[in-house]
Parts: sequence; structure tokens; C-alpha cells
Amino acid sequence: MRRWRAAGGAALAATLLGLLAGGGCRSKAREVVVYASIDQVFAEPILKEYERRSGVKVRAVFDTEETKSTGVLNRIVAEAKSPQADVFWSGDPVRPFLLVRKGLVQPYRSPAAAPVPAAYRAQDGSWTGGAARARLLLVNRKLVPASEMPRSVRDLANPRWKGEIAIANPVFGTTTMHVAALATAWGDEELFAFLRALKDNGVRVASSNGEVKRLVATGEVAFGLADTDDAAEAVKDGAPIEVVYPDQDGLGTLVMPTAVVLLTGPHAEEGRKLVDYLLSPEAEGRLVAEAAHHPLRPDVPAAPGVKRVGEFRAMAVEYAKVAEAMERLQPRLREWAGL
Amino acid sequence: MGRALVPRRLEQPLLLGAAGALLTMVALVPLLALAGEAFAANLAGVARTLGAARTWELFGSSLALAASVTVLALLVGLPLGLLLGRADVSGRNTALWLHAFPLFLPPFLLALGWFHVFGRTGVLGNAGTAAALFSPIGAAIVLALALAPVVTLLVAVALQAVDPSLEEAALIAGGPWRTATRILLPLSRPAVALGALVVFSLVFSELGVPMFLRVGVYPAMVFARLGGVDYAPGEAVALSLPLVAVSTVLLLAERRAAGRRSFAALGLRTREVPALALGRWRGAATGAAWALAVLPLAPVAALAWRAGTGFRELPRWLGASPVNSLVSTLAAATFTLLVAVPVGHAAARGLRGGAGLDALAVLAFLTPASVLGAGLIGAWNRPATEAVYASLAVVAVALAARYAAIGLRTAAVVFAQSPPHLEEAAAVSGAGFLRRLGRILIPIHARGLGAAWLLTALFCLRDLEAAVLIYPAGSEPLTVRIFTLEANGPPAVVAALACSQVALSAGVLALGALALLRRRA
Repeated sequence: MRRWRAAGGAALAATLLGLLAGGGCRSKAREVVVYASIDQVFAEPILKEYERRSGVKVRAVFDTEETKSTGVLNRIVAEAKSPQADVFWSGDPVRPFLLVRKGLVQPYRSPAAAPVPAAYRAQDGSWTGGAARARLLLVNRKLVPASEMPRSVRDLANPRWKGEIAIANPVFGTTTMHVAALATAWGDEELFAFLRALKDNGVRVASSNGEVKRLVATGEVAFGLADTDDAAEAVKDGAPIEVVYPDQDGLGTLVMPTAVVLLTGPHAEEGRKLVDYLLSPEAEGRLVAEAAHHPLRPDVPAAPGVKRVGEFRAMAVEYAKVAEAMERLQPRLREWAGL
Repeated sequence: MGRALVPRRLEQPLLLGAAGALLTMVALVPLLALAGEAFAANLAGVARTLGAARTWELFGSSLALAASVTVLALLVGLPLGLLLGRADVSGRNTALWLHAFPLFLPPFLLALGWFHVFGRTGVLGNAGTAAALFSPIGAAIVLALALAPVVTLLVAVALQAVDPSLEEAALIAGGPWRTATRILLPLSRPAVALGALVVFSLVFSELGVPMFLRVGVYPAMVFARLGGVDYAPGEAVALSLPLVAVSTVLLLAERRAAGRRSFAALGLRTREVPALALGRWRGAATGAAWALAVLPLAPVAALAWRAGTGFRELPRWLGASPVNSLVSTLAAATFTLLVAVPVGHAAARGLRGGAGLDALAVLAFLTPASVLGAGLIGAWNRPATEAVYASLAVVAVALAARYAAIGLRTAAVVFAQSPPHLEEAAAVSGAGFLRRLGRILIPIHARGLGAAWLLTALFCLRDLEAAVLIYPAGSEPLTVRIFTLEANGPPAVVAALACSQVALSAGVLALGALALLRRRA
């Protein structure tokens, strides 16, 4: 019995120590807290490299694929009374606007941002764009002959492909931004007419873009909408996938630069240094090389098979208006998704 | 001898009060904090949410899914519990352990495993199997196979506690079939009721599997209020209100079905109970029992097959996540046991306050984890509680809030095994509650309480939903790491990480079982 008590006591003490070792009181050691909605598989090695070079401990929270860009965004909002995060590394430039409106952003004009084209950064430094993704059509070559290759997002509503198409849930992730961008171009009513047509066409509403990629790659559907990095991974895995930049003879393809945002967290100085690093040609180069993003900076070369922004027709969008549309559309999108 | 600091008659109510305060702090305060803040801001939104037809449509779908899974789990678990618990099936203990194991894995991992089996390009997959998998029926079957072991285990353990003399008398009057249907199964009714409650509750609050299999459920609606662009905690809390009614109905139904009987000895009795002889049916029954028992392991095998070369990459991707899982789990299970002893005892003895605290724990168990998570942020993210919020302690708090019902219910069942007259005799001799607890109740129930701790720990270890919203930066548990890497990480690495979770759960289960068995020896 005594032996058991001793073992129990030791286990309890070790557990308590372990509990507080994970963070405890706000650490005085050099550290920085980053909330990231960039895919963990790509973001984590970049953050680890920064940690190795700078000697600053990087503590990260990553989004799940299902809530991409909104899970950590909402955590930042929920933590507003006592901010924890120093940097938000966003998968798109729209969600930072929601944080700006709530006063949770510290504008910072990073010296590393100078080569980024003006269209992809805020003049006041509230957000700065980095390597970009585009919204692409992933098409299963075994199910869709070359002669019938889709060319526009509107092809998702073509009855020829009834029950054979997929998009991610527009309530979450980059699909929210995409439909909001379409609303700014088409108007709300035309957007919802399109979404109703998708539903009539038996669209599969996947839990994430990654899931859309899996559905197309495994032939569960003929084609679907996803992001550049999803397309690159599918191609890299050897899936029979054709990548289509939609609407090249019309509206253009939606481009979503990643965005680096300095927040009001407790480690402001370390936060600024991390922002500088994430905007450096080296960090952008890694996203371009490893996650097949489109480079924004002229000093970062494009990866083989991936176009630079400017080499394809990009949809003309004002990110601030897209942010407004995103909030405005949310209740109707939830209704459309049955949530 | 000095005067006692606390009068003896107050020891029990004070201890129960302290435990109740702790339970309230972890489970109720976050919900109230969120509710107060959110309702004040948005009453119109709350009314609109609760008045929408879609709200009740999804509520009905979730009730239907939970009910179907419960029925399916009973259909699998009842006969299997009977066969593996009492019949002379070959290798029944091994089969029971194998069958129970998937219960301690996150259900979304099992769904991922079934995808590797029945997805269009799965081992046994084609278009038809994929369509069936991604449907409400597929979700019900995946969840039923994941959770049937709850019923099997409870029934098996309950039947091992049945007095053999009852069985012998029945065998004289009729055959094994009559004995099973007229004596053993009716006697296992309280275990069946508890099993049904646990399965129903777990399915009703499950988010990962329905989202993966694209089945609309109520928790997804709640999650959409917290995971979408227009963060709307008020609406999320409003959507949680119908769950109070559900948990009340469930508790009443379970208590009515269980009656005044307690269900199991949880292995406390050391006597050997002779197995029910199946005669010429033994071979067929052994085959059927083994087939049913190992079926839930199929997705685990599929994950191991898919992992392949992914194991080589593990050191790069695993990080400290298994340690984070273990530390938060050990703390949560220990905290829960400390609360479960006085509360479980009060519930077992029908003392005032016991039933209310039990109901609170069940409510927290049913509340969508996303609501609990948002409430915990509101309650703990303050400068004064920074030490908790910025460390794994906040994950432990979330786990304790969510899984207190498991430890508490098990402790109540354990205490119900000993007749109250033991305590009454000690009380007459002048022993206060603390003395009775330390000298009688805990020593004689040490093994059962150890089982309560182990069961809670295993449920905490498999948790994803409670931890994912609040884990401290850089300290994610393994389940969270698998989930955040699942969609875009290399599939072999994700499968290998899933296998690591399997190994972690197996390790804790094996060590726990070993410790409990050593205590019996």
C-alpha cells in the first residue's frame, strides 16, 4: 500500500509540474506566440527554422482544416480581453480586416515588405501579403475527357456533372472568401442563384478543401474547387488530376495572398521580428517551393509548374469589400449549408 | 484527544460541498460566463436561432442518429456481452480486450480507417461502398461499431457479478437459452441502461465523424456559430439550451430502467464464476463472438496498413504531443477522481446534492465541446488565471469538465456495491465520514475507484473536441496534432501518427489493467 501511495504521489507531482511547464505564468524567456491558418505541414518547418536561427521559442496554434482561417481567428476574438497571440499568419488577406475592426491589430510596416506589390499589402501596415494561393478547379482526368474539361466555376452547375462535383463548406475556410468575392463581382442574389443551382446539381459539400482534393483524387467526384496547395499535393502524390485556372477568358481566377499581421499580444518586439522573417524572401521562397504557392515578390522564383501572380488572369477584387461581404453573407451561407 | 476541527456530522456535507464547488467551477462556470455575456449582447439573435425550423430539423436528425446508434450498439453489445461475459466461448477474455480497445481511440480516426477500407479506392472499396459510407447509415454503423464495446463491457462485467446460485437454479428449470433470456439479461438491465445513456450521449455530442462523413448534425450547427466568420457565442449557447432537456430526459429514463439496482461489481468479487455451457452451440458461438469482437479493429488495421513508410517520419512530426496528451490526461483523471469519490458516494447512497451534481456532470458531457471551449476561454483567459490558461492545466480543466460524468458514474456504481450497513456500523462506533472514507470505503473499493480513474483517463486521452479550441500555443495533445495535419499532411505520416495514438492508448490501458490486476492478486 505504501509503495502504491509513493508511486501515486510521485505521478501527481510530475503531472502538476508537467501541467505548468507547458506555459505557466507568462514566460520571461524569449518567446513569441503565433496563430496560423497556413497548413501546419508547411508552416511548422518555417517556424522551426526561425526558432533555430533566432533562439526565440516559437509557440504556435494551428487551425484545423475544417475551420481554416476562422478557428484561430475566432480564438483571437474570444481572447480579446487578455490577448495571447503576437502574430496571426493568415491564409488570406480578408480575415485580418475583421481583427482590424475589433482593434486587435497593431499596424506595422515591416522593412521586409517593401518588395511586395502595393495591391497585396495595406498602406497602414495592418496586414502584408506573402506567397499566394489561387482558387483552382481540380479535375479527375480519368472521369473527364480533355474535350469536356471545365473552364469556369460556373461549370460546377452544369447538369452534365450532376452528382459528380464537390466544394468545401462555404461557411468555413477559403471557400467563404471565394463566395464573398463572387458576391462582390456578381451581386448577392446572383451568387445565391448559383449556389442553389449547385445544390440542384447534387454538389458534395466536403468538410474542407483537403477533403475536396481527396474526393477528386480518389474518383469519388469528377471535379471540385480547391486551393493551389491542394492541387500541388494531389499532383505530387501522383493522382490523375488536371489543374484548371478557372475563368481565364472572363472574371479571372481568385488570388489569395497569405497575410502576416502583428497583433496586440504580450511579446510585441519578438512579434515584429517574426513578422519580418515571415515576409522575408526566404520564408516566401519556402512556401513557394514546398507548398506550391504563387510568389508575390519579384526576388522569389516560381516553382516548376506553378505560375507567378501576373502570369494568369487574376480576378479584380478589393479585399476590404470582400471582408464586408463575408460577414454579410454568413447567415445565408449557413442556411444554404443547412447549419 | 483534541476537538475535531470540523464536527463529524458536517464532514460529509462539507466534503460534498467542496467537490460540488470544484465541479461547478470547471463545468458550470464557463457555460454561465458565456451565456451571461452572450445573452446580454444578442437576445434577438437567440430568439431567432431557437425559432428557426432548421434548428429543430437538425436536432431531430441528431436524436435519430443517436437513437439508431444506441439501438445498433445494443444489438451488438448485448449478445456479445453475454457470450464474452458468461458463456464458455474460447478465448473470451482476449476477445473482450480486443473488442474494447477501439473504444479508447478518437472516433474520427476510426472513420478515417473505415475510409481506407470502404472509400472508393479503399482495400474493399468501390462506388457503392463509398456512397454507403458517406451517408447517415454509414455514419450510424461507424459510430455503432466504435461504441458497441461500451455496452459489451458493461453487460459482460455486470453478468460476471450475477450470483451463480440464481443461474444454477435456472439451469435446472430450463436450458442455457432460457437462463440467458429469463435470468441473465433481465439482471443486466441497469448495465444496459447505463450503456445506452453513455452511447447516446457520446453520439449526440459527436462532431468529427459526422463532419467527416458529411452528415448534418446538431453539434455542427453549434460549431458553425463558433467556427464561422461571424463569431456568435450567444447563438451557440442558445442552441445548447435544448440539451438541458435532453440530458434530463436521458437521466430520468436511465434511472427508471436501472431502478434501485446497481449493475456491476467491476471485478471486485474475486470468486470464479463458472461459465454458462453452450454445448453443441459452442463452436458456432465462439466463431460469431470473435468475428463481432474484432470487427471494430478493422479500421485500426487499415490505418496500420496505410502508415507503411510513414513510421520513418514519425520523429519529425510527433514532437512533444504524446507527453502533452499524457500530462493533461493524468491531471484531469486525478482531479475527476477526487471529485468523484464524495459525489459518487452521495449519488450511490441517495444523499442530498448527489443527484444534482450527477446531472450537472451529464449536462457537461452532452454540451457540445465547442461551447464548453468558448466558455472556458471566457472564464479562464484573465490575468489572474494566466498560469492556468497559458499552460496544459487549461486542457486538463476542459477534459475534467467534459468527462467528469464517466468517473463520477463509475464511482457511484462502485460505492453501490457495498451495503450501507458497513458504514452505518462504523458511524455507530463513532467514525466520522472522513475516517469511514479512509479506513473502509476507499480501501475496499480501491480497485473499483482505480477502474474509474482508468476509464476517465482513457476517455480524456481520446479527446479531440474539448482540447482543440483551447490548447496552449505550442502544447497540443496528439489527437489535435493528428487532426490539424489530417487533411494536408502526408497520408502515410498521418496514418503513422494515428497508430501512435493507438499505441499510447494501448500503453495506458495495459499499464492500468496491470495495476488493477496486481491489486487483486
